[in-house]
Amino acid sequence: MQAGLSTKNAPSPKIVLPHYIFGAISFLVATVLLFFVSSDFVGHYLSPKLLSITHILVLGWITMIIFGALYQLIPVVMEVKLFSEKLAMSTFIIFGIGLITLSVSFWTFNFGRSIGLESAGYLILVSMILFAFNTILSAAKTERKTIENTFIVTSIFWLMLTICIGILMVLNFAFHFIPGSHLQLLKMHAHLGIIGWFLLLVIGVASKLMPMFLIVHKLPRRLLNYAYYLINAGLALLAFGYYFYSEKWFLSLASFMVIIGIAMFLRFNYIAFSKRIRKKLDVGMKLSATGFVLLAISILFGIFSVLSIDFFASIQTRIEIAYGVLIILGFLTSLVLGQTYKTLPFIIWLQKYQSKVGKVKVPLPVELYSDKIANYHFYTFILGILLLIVGILYANILIIKTSSILLIITALLYNYNVFKIIFHKNSGK
Amino acid sequence: MNLDSLTSKEKEILEKLKLVMDPEVAVNVVDLGLIYEVHYQEELNRIHIVMTLSTRGCPLGDTIMRNIEVVVTDMFPNMDVYVELTWEPEWSPELITEDGRNAIDQ
Repeated sequence: MQAGLSTKNAPSPKIVLPHYIFGAISFLVATVLLFFVSSDFVGHYLSPKLLSITHILVLGWITMIIFGALYQLIPVVMEVKLFSEKLAMSTFIIFGIGLITLSVSFWTFNFGRSIGLESAGYLILVSMILFAFNTILSAAKTERKTIENTFIVTSIFWLMLTICIGILMVLNFAFHFIPGSHLQLLKMHAHLGIIGWFLLLVIGVASKLMPMFLIVHKLPRRLLNYAYYLINAGLALLAFGYYFYSEKWFLSLASFMVIIGIAMFLRFNYIAFSKRIRKKLDVGMKLSATGFVLLAISILFGIFSVLSIDFFASIQTRIEIAYGVLIILGFLTSLVLGQTYKTLPFIIWLQKYQSKVGKVKVPLPVELYSDKIANYHFYTFILGILLLIVGILYANILIIKTSSILLIITALLYNYNVFKIIFHKNSGK
Repeated sequence: MNLDSLTSKEKEILEKLKLVMDPEVAVNVVDLGLIYEVHYQEELNRIHIVMTLSTRGCPLGDTIMRNIEVVVTDMFPNMDVYVELTWEPEWSPELITEDGRNAIDQ
């Protein structure tokens, strides 16, 4: 095989596809639950039902699809074969069981000892260790030591730390051995997961894939280097500060470093979008671009959240919930929706048509799903997420319920396309 | 690629390569500027094509190369077809033809 080619490195679709199916169904389940617990969005975020939905979204929906996509993308980004496909399958099964147990246990949680939560936590920890083992050993084989790869490997370390702190919290609810506030630990857990795991991973993968999809070259990669050091240093300080030194100036400084780092990445993306040869954006790229806009908006909410400005004191909790919603259900969900259309059709297309290209007429990957349906859910998603933020800020349950119906429609249409792609019938003539 | 230096057979091959699409952008490999050289080497009974990809680690790279091989073999079934991948010079968007630029945004 010639250097730089990766199709032969790609794992079997049998490893990757279950992640997409599990992810798509989790998204639908989360949006349906969201409809039934709308009133929890106007209370405190330490609510068992919100915790359950949050974990279905961050683990069942976003992380599950990221795992599947990473197994496929590691050969692209790192030009290596996955260390073990069997290990990837075992990871999926353990992670899936752990996640279902976790979601059910959170739903009925009463902030005391929960054997369900503890067992789920251990299962998820084991699956994360297996995932980290598999991906880091794959990464170790690569000869391409790029900043994108460094982002991805670092994100896996933060993921492990996030899970460990999550388990410590679960045990602490039962045995109260950690002095201090649960809320500080929760903030540490959430930020390690969102910034350390999701954001670093997104930057690593997006900075490789976006220029490829947009057809753009010679981007200022130094911005990615600055982003890497600023975000990691800021996050380490933030995590330390939340528990050991929660002075406002210290947390603000740490947050500022993270924000400047994110701004560097957004600047990199902005330059990529403005210099692109491919002016017309397909639905996958429209959703991805929307994700980055939502990231920028969520930063504003994050700043208000950290600064706790007196003017907003009466709605401080709502701002914090809106901030979390914008990141998880806004930025990350939009990006995962979009990148599904940039990865899944190609996985199936390669499986069905790789050996037929040139010999018979084959469809293009973009023809494996309904573009019309994808565009419909692009609009229902944008309207849904904006209404949800408005509903949370105004503590209006009717608006929240309306937004959740739009998000259920989004999830249904998205599921339709995902299953249409996965069950695509070979049409090469 | 200097078209004037190509023989009629090589021009014919290049024309045929316009059937090979990059499945992501739905533009053919010639108009994308991915084909650097085409050599019809009668004395070696070989057709030698030198090409690149728009980025290293392109997930569709070897599918595109196989497609080129199939198309050219179909034209000249009795000759060996050798598709060589190179990263020098690095591909850049300036290599896309006018037709390619128009097709990208359709």
